[in-house]
Amino acid sequence: MPNEPVLSWKIAGLLLGLLLITATALVKPVGVSTQYVVTDAIVLHSAAPDLAESNEYLAKYGEKDDWSIGYGWMFVVGMFLGGGLSAFITRSVRQREVAALPSMWKAQFGASSSRRMMHAFLGGALLLFGARLAGGCTSGHMMSGISQLTIGSFVFGISIFVSGIITAHILYNKRTAS
Amino acid sequence: MNLLILGLILGMAFGAILQLGGASSYHKIIGTLLLKDMAIIKLILTGIAVATVGIYALDLVDMANMSIKPTYIVGIAVAGLIFGVGFAVAGYCPGTCVVAAAEGKTDAVVTIVGGLAGVLIYSLVYPAMKGLISITNYGEVTVPSALGITGLWIAVPFSAILFLLVFRVLKDRYE
Repeated sequence: MPNEPVLSWKIAGLLLGLLLITATALVKPVGVSTQYVVTDAIVLHSAAPDLAESNEYLAKYGEKDDWSIGYGWMFVVGMFLGGGLSAFITRSVRQREVAALPSMWKAQFGASSSRRMMHAFLGGALLLFGARLAGGCTSGHMMSGISQLTIGSFVFGISIFVSGIITAHILYNKRTAS
Repeated sequence: MNLLILGLILGMAFGAILQLGGASSYHKIIGTLLLKDMAIIKLILTGIAVATVGIYALDLVDMANMSIKPTYIVGIAVAGLIFGVGFAVAGYCPGTCVVAAAEGKTDAVVTIVGGLAGVLIYSLVYPAMKGLISITNYGEVTVPSALGITGLWIAVPFSAILFLLVFRVLKDRYE
């Protein structure tokens, strides 16, 4: 398979664990989804300040140091740089698939890239709606939350996989020749 | 060290680990949710197993900057069900789409934009969501704090179970 990861799950998992420990020791547990709120709030505060202030959820974000471009936001910028850099470096070693249309998706849903983009957009909206209602995503709730043995994070972890597994099976139930 | 630079460095490590481990791959995520490819779930569970013991060992010497999220069972369960649908439809999660976007995958860029829209929608309906957040809300509770015992007593056996799962139970189902 051309998509096999560079690192085995054992090595990547060990490194992930060490990173979670390091972040908790130095600053705080890792998390991503709050930074979508920060980004929205920064944009809204500069584009429509009155609207931003009247929005109860976004009002506290986007302005003051703690709730704007700070440690957490730079962490996500770092993810982009680190992920891009490792992809760039390892691409010369292994041929990796980079396309708007994952081949698996194409086999199931056809070659319409606008349809894939609709799925990607809708999926993203559901992801962040859910993450904000829960108070965290796969990083903050699942990885960091369960590592701290937070009871709600166990609920979140079970819930996302039950729902994700059912949805994936519905989406991919019409098996096409592969 | 400057906190912003530290954030950038830790984020770079996190992004690189996700990318090198295959977590930013649509195929790997969907393979996981179709219960065929166990690599990503094994990666996450291994990370959690290592981190749980490490964090609670740090906590023993008061060096862990923990941040416990409140537990509201119903609201979080509903949120997880919504999140799970998005997970399978997008094939990414809020973090891995950032990494996938950096790899040049345009669908992941669209997922980020969708995510920003999702937050905006959430912020607009937030007053209606407060009920879901307040019912069955037990506050910042963990398994050790609920039982009133030292964290490591739970962390060590919990990690042992996770290691047993990843090394002995979870198996790929690709023929």
